[in-house]
Amino acid sequence: MSETVPVKVVLNGAFRPWTEGGETFEIHAGTLKGVLRELDRLYPGLGEVLEEDTAVAIDGVIHEIVYTQKLNPGSEIYFIPKIESG
Amino acid sequence: MLKKTEEPVKDLKVVGTRPIRPDGVPKVTGHAQYGADYYLPGMLWGKILRSPHAHARIRSIDTSKAQALPGVKAVMVGSDLPEQKFDYLGPDRVQVNFWHMTRNIMAREKALYVGHAVAAVAATTPEIAAEAIKLIEVDYEVLPHVIDVDEAMAEDAPLLFEDMITRGVNPSPTKPSNIARRAEFKIGDVEAGFAQADEIVEMSFKTSPVHQGYIEPHACLARFGADGQCEIWSSSQGHFMVRGYTAKILGIPVNNLVVHPAEIGGGFGGKTVVYVEPIAATLSRKSGLPVKIVMTREEVFLATGPTAGSSMTVRMGVKRDGKIVAADGVFKFQAGAFPGSPVMNGCMCAFSVYDLENARAVGYDVVSNRPKSAAYRAPGSPIVAFAVESVVDELARRIGMDPLELRLRNAVKVGSPTIWGPKHGHGGFRETIEALMNHPEYKKPLGPNQGRGVASGFWFNGAGESAVTIHVGEDGSVSIASGSMDVGGSRASMAIMAAETLGIPYEKVRSTVANTASIGYNHVTGGSRVTYATGMAVVQACERIIEDLRTRAAMMWDVNVDDVIWEDGCAKPANPSVGDFKPLTLAEIAAKRAVTGGPIAAEVAINAGGQAPGFSTQFCDVEVDPETGAVKILRFVAAQDVGRAIHPSYVEGQIQGGVTQGIGWALNETYVYNSKGEMENAGFLDYRMPVASDLPMIEAVIVEVPNPNHPYGVKGAGEVNIVPVTAAVANAIRSATGVRLTSLPMSPPVVLQALESESASV
Repeated sequence: MSETVPVKVVLNGAFRPWTEGGETFEIHAGTLKGVLRELDRLYPGLGEVLEEDTAVAIDGVIHEIVYTQKLNPGSEIYFIPKIESG
Repeated sequence: MLKKTEEPVKDLKVVGTRPIRPDGVPKVTGHAQYGADYYLPGMLWGKILRSPHAHARIRSIDTSKAQALPGVKAVMVGSDLPEQKFDYLGPDRVQVNFWHMTRNIMAREKALYVGHAVAAVAATTPEIAAEAIKLIEVDYEVLPHVIDVDEAMAEDAPLLFEDMITRGVNPSPTKPSNIARRAEFKIGDVEAGFAQADEIVEMSFKTSPVHQGYIEPHACLARFGADGQCEIWSSSQGHFMVRGYTAKILGIPVNNLVVHPAEIGGGFGGKTVVYVEPIAATLSRKSGLPVKIVMTREEVFLATGPTAGSSMTVRMGVKRDGKIVAADGVFKFQAGAFPGSPVMNGCMCAFSVYDLENARAVGYDVVSNRPKSAAYRAPGSPIVAFAVESVVDELARRIGMDPLELRLRNAVKVGSPTIWGPKHGHGGFRETIEALMNHPEYKKPLGPNQGRGVASGFWFNGAGESAVTIHVGEDGSVSIASGSMDVGGSRASMAIMAAETLGIPYEKVRSTVANTASIGYNHVTGGSRVTYATGMAVVQACERIIEDLRTRAAMMWDVNVDDVIWEDGCAKPANPSVGDFKPLTLAEIAAKRAVTGGPIAAEVAINAGGQAPGFSTQFCDVEVDPETGAVKILRFVAAQDVGRAIHPSYVEGQIQGGVTQGIGWALNETYVYNSKGEMENAGFLDYRMPVASDLPMIEAVIVEVPNPNHPYGVKGAGEVNIVPVTAAVANAIRSATGVRLTSLPMSPPVVLQALESESASV
């Protein structure tokens, strides 16, 4: 398991059914897998939903959900809808 | 005109050049094989019976007379496909509901639009197949229909699905409606923002659904063997998509289905779904013979996905100094017969070029009795841009500011907020505005009845899963196989990036597209993702090849691999102390492949991320004929940030193509429905797309602000070019005539009527 760093995770209103209103979280994680694991621990089932249904913006840069995605201290992480392509 | 805003990180020898396209000769000599060009021994011809009604319950279907016709080998109806669970699968914006998909491929309980497939036959000749479908007797209960999106949302509208409850509303509605989904994105306090505004503009807009208009109709050949193994040859934007969807619809494992990619005669998003493949495969399974289906042009218009039409209201507020302080939009999209319009994309893109503290976008996905919408070039973004960019133009007029200046003052930059949450991670928008501000034609005076319009646009661009294999041949030539369909020149782009990375001439590299059994999974060619994501895989595979070549060179020289470098296409000693070795070319190492370990090959499969969005700013000059209402495009200049143009000619072609499609959307293209819900212009003669004589030379201004996440700075080039076009044209018409048009298309009768209404009101 990689070294963890503090990151800020923001979930928009679409995830309120899980988060009961809480939208911003301070989490310690080294990779995106760690973020998913921690959110799933807080809200069982949310990790799988995020993994299946979202992309992620890390400091504004969009990535697919990949477990090994490394995080920097203080990274701002938003889970956003995936992109439909044309 | 090529504008480089940032210099490359290193000298590039091949990237940025314009070599001959590898698929050029087969295409211009007629030897390229498209979906309709494949034949197999004993092949049958499939034909589809389509609903004549816009909305009808299917009481029964009697196929006995068709089955009895000599030459008919198989007949199918919707229930010949296995039932699918009703479930929305996958992410919101790309959700798939296979219960819906199987019913779109072939109707069951109801026909939901004119042209909806209800049965199909396979026969020994096309003529017998056509005769056979006439013998199929369908007992319909004709129902009231609805097409317009506002009418479909009305309380008393005919319901396409009697049990559809709007998703995304809390608490859930108790009554069914045609509104499949509501989505909302917001940031800040919109009303507080409007309270700061010196000027507020609010307008409502409607846009017509338009078809992607690809020249090649949908076509496929399917062979389903007695051993359960199936093969399909078809043109699409993703043969892995064809495999996945078709296998699911047929209820077979994906490795029982091999899909061969044919050349594609245009897609623009419309070939990211399946229509005929599951039907041809089912008819082949039933008959035991290969079955080919080729849609007619009329079938393409009646039964395949256009993009959504829309009804929109946008309100924006600005201060006198040009700061936009609030934006609010309601966007209602026609999904067609099944849910799934790109309204969520539209909401997210609507205000994404502006640095706004207060904004809201509300979207509605609405079903109606027309073909299910499919993706079309930056799905959703061009629709909302027509409304937003028209309103921004009016804001500029209200405060007396140049429209480019207004956009520049509000342009997003790295760190600007977005309505969908994260801050912008990439720049590039300001540079597109500045490119036009500095363009020599922008200040050029115009004549009577002429006007200039400006608009901007945003598109996310995509990335995702790609796999490639690279082989070094016995003579040192290089072959690339990828699983990404070549829609816009990707074979050339892949070869360029490989040549650049390996340090060899472009002519030494050949790039192909492999079938689904020969390469790892690749996501569709869409979202402007292939040059970025598949290109990244190609570069990584080349880097593995280089490591392998260095290792083999070290073996040949009896030195350590760290003592070998790869430079200018050769293995060289890292420094003079390694020894006096003559550089080894790729061909010389390839000649020793057997004794150094066997074939030289590398496969890379990635899920690419880190893509950067596309920004475009455009201006156009028009002349409006006050007697006929005809609009002539005099000049069109489109600046687009592409990160890095790997093959600039292809990039220019993408920009020119997107603008051309946007001009068609702006001025002519529309579905003409009669009172029965029948499309009356289902052909290229009556569905008026632009032709060369309608257009001036479209000037593509390539802006290059490289994406640091890609080895060559690529961002994606295929889609954002269409986003600003309709508003740029509308704004130019406004400048020329003083009349603001708020519905598409702005065809001569519409323009003339608006001019006459304006003069009557003065």
